[in-house]
Amino acid sequence: MTSIELSPALIVEDDPATRRRLHTLLVGLLGADAVIAMADSVASAMATARKESFALALIDVGLPDGNGVDVIAWLHVHAPDTVSVVISTWGHEDTVLAALRSGATGYLLKESEDIELGLSLKSLRRGGAPIDPVIARRILAQVSGTEPMAETATVPASPTPQLSERELEILHLVARGYSNPEIAAMTGLSRFTIEDHTKKIYRKLAVNSRMAAVFEANSLGLLK
Amino acid sequence: MPVSLLDDWSKRWPTHDGVVWYRLHMNVRNANQPIGLLLDYVCLADAVYVNGSLVHRDPSLTEPLSRSWVAPQYFLLDKPLLQSGDNIVLIRVSGLAAYQPGLGTVRYGDPQAAYSEYRKAWLVRYQLRFFDFAISAVLGGVFLMMWLFRRKDTTYGWYALNVLIGAVFEWNYIASDVWPFSGTDGFEAFNVAVYVAYVCSFAVFLLRYCERRWPRLERILFVLSLLAFACALCAPGWVGPSRGPWIAVASLIYYIALPTFMIHAWRSRKTDQRVLALCLIIPMVASVHDILLFYELVHDRTYLLALTAPFTLVGMGFVLAYRFSAAMRRVDGFNTELQTKVDAATTELSTSLEREHTLALATTRMSERLNLVRDLHDGFGGSLVSAIAALEHPASEQGAKPTIETLKELRDDLRLVIDTTAQDHSRDLAELLGPFRYRWTRRLDAIDIEARWQFESLEGLHLSAAQQLDLLRFLQEALTNVMKHSGATCVDVTMRVAEENLHVTVQDNGRGFDPVIARANAGGAGLNSLNARAHRLNGAWVLDAEPGTGATLKLIIPLITAAS
Repeated sequence: MTSIELSPALIVEDDPATRRRLHTLLVGLLGADAVIAMADSVASAMATARKESFALALIDVGLPDGNGVDVIAWLHVHAPDTVSVVISTWGHEDTVLAALRSGATGYLLKESEDIELGLSLKSLRRGGAPIDPVIARRILAQVSGTEPMAETATVPASPTPQLSERELEILHLVARGYSNPEIAAMTGLSRFTIEDHTKKIYRKLAVNSRMAAVFEANSLGLLK
Repeated sequence: MPVSLLDDWSKRWPTHDGVVWYRLHMNVRNANQPIGLLLDYVCLADAVYVNGSLVHRDPSLTEPLSRSWVAPQYFLLDKPLLQSGDNIVLIRVSGLAAYQPGLGTVRYGDPQAAYSEYRKAWLVRYQLRFFDFAISAVLGGVFLMMWLFRRKDTTYGWYALNVLIGAVFEWNYIASDVWPFSGTDGFEAFNVAVYVAYVCSFAVFLLRYCERRWPRLERILFVLSLLAFACALCAPGWVGPSRGPWIAVASLIYYIALPTFMIHAWRSRKTDQRVLALCLIIPMVASVHDILLFYELVHDRTYLLALTAPFTLVGMGFVLAYRFSAAMRRVDGFNTELQTKVDAATTELSTSLEREHTLALATTRMSERLNLVRDLHDGFGGSLVSAIAALEHPASEQGAKPTIETLKELRDDLRLVIDTTAQDHSRDLAELLGPFRYRWTRRLDAIDIEARWQFESLEGLHLSAAQQLDLLRFLQEALTNVMKHSGATCVDVTMRVAEENLHVTVQDNGRGFDPVIARANAGGAGLNSLNARAHRLNGAWVLDAEPGTGATLKLIIPLITAAS
């Protein structure tokens, strides 16, 4: 089982309790010697990321001075090696999709149990990317051109990602609520390969220029 | 025997049907000048000889007789036929006693003067009649068409009938033979019947024009007309010669109908009726003259009706056309009015539809809000209250743990509310269960409980939002129980559709329990909650559990009510 380095890590979160929670989780996962930096705003996050490079960035969406998706888009351009993970909460799909398009390769849902967040972080360390049925469904809807949101109308150049049949198959199974081991059993893939596929799907979703990312975020009403 | 012209021999020989010869002496001073001979009136057919030579003979001098009476006759005489001094003109007249047989005045002299007199008489007695005939036929035809396309306006129909019968009657004045009848009696009898029908139809027309219906009188008039035709066709030899009474009866009708109408028109104060009444004064005066002439109470040769008829016809046509155009104006006005009303109704309708739509929208929003509130307080509210109670009155030394449990319940319930409310409602049950299954698989997996799911034929199954939420809450409650209390290593969740029912089974291999004790313990909050959910789904549920054998929870929901 391969594993990628997640240290040093950056947590961009303005709520102290959540910051503590994430810190604890990361320490539990990476060990006490892990380098973990903190930021509580868009500005401080960018300032910190300019000074040093991070392997992992956990970024909250609702920051006092702006939107976390901006930070993700910025990182996607200026620090492409950083694994950006958006931290979302209730009604997360739009946020998560916007973040994925801006270059995030994963997302954490605040309302999950610690143990679930741990699973997601472990998956990230394996080089995979977590996905859930709601997100899978939305990606499928976008790929098949029936995405119910307005962004295809407001962003003329919004590319429809070309997914392979295997990727589509996995998305369909995820959307039905099958777990990774179940999908592995059904497709004959290893359960960890499935996460690789997820990551590829996310990369295909991400738009490549910063401008496009900002535009994308704008069109979703995430930039104010 | 010497007679003076105009001569009607029926006065002298009332039964003589046949030939009468008239001999006239014509004194010509200078035979080198041609002279014109003008026979004003010959009834019915004649031949003319001058100095023994034939100068004119009608086509038929025996029955069926030619009908020469309608037109004057003019001859230009010259040498050698014409002689200076005395010339003898013999006129052989064939006539029938019943039909005023005889010879009118005869004149001779300057051909120019005689000819112009002939032309004048020709115009008045023949051409005007022909004109009347033609104009009657045309007007009758036009108004017949109008009536055919507008049957309910019977005035036009009666006018057309009257005028067309009038045209047939005019034929009497222009026909040169008795065709299509075999004799003069037949022709005259038919003509009398036509006159009767003409008067009757005229009376009905006047009635219709006043918008009246007198069925009994109309029936009498109809029968009278029919009778006249029947008699004329079956017994022409009787009707023809004794036409006087028929004409008297018909004329009586005419002279009752006309003044009656005039009085009515005057009282009605309607312009068109008064104009028509004025139009009809002319023929009435004329016809008085003509009737008197017919009965030879006045001595004249010209039936006035022929002169006045065109004016009358055109006047009546004008009145009817005016009436028609007035009707059209009413129709136009009605259309405009209708259009206005339709517009108003349309506006009102669209306004009220809009209002209803707004109202319906408001009602829907209201009920959506109520649903949401209900969804929230059913699960969320209860948990919140119990969390507050737990924090205010800590029951044990467990610290924050029970509160955290309750808050997590709140969180899970909120997740279900969001899943079932915020999503588009086009998803079937299989799609709805995806996120739920994913979440619980991970959650159970984290505490080493293997979750095995088996969904059968849930594709295409749609439940209402409220039912979705109740079903998910039921499942969540059941799985929470498994997670917290069962100590199981494996849980099977099956859902399948069979016989219009949704069958849900949650089976674990845990330590099991005694339902009776479970119900008694802590008020059996979890089981009560399951009960409430199942009840709202119109479902029935059973809990099959014994200590040591795991627990099986079964729920059956009828889908017919679920779908409605």
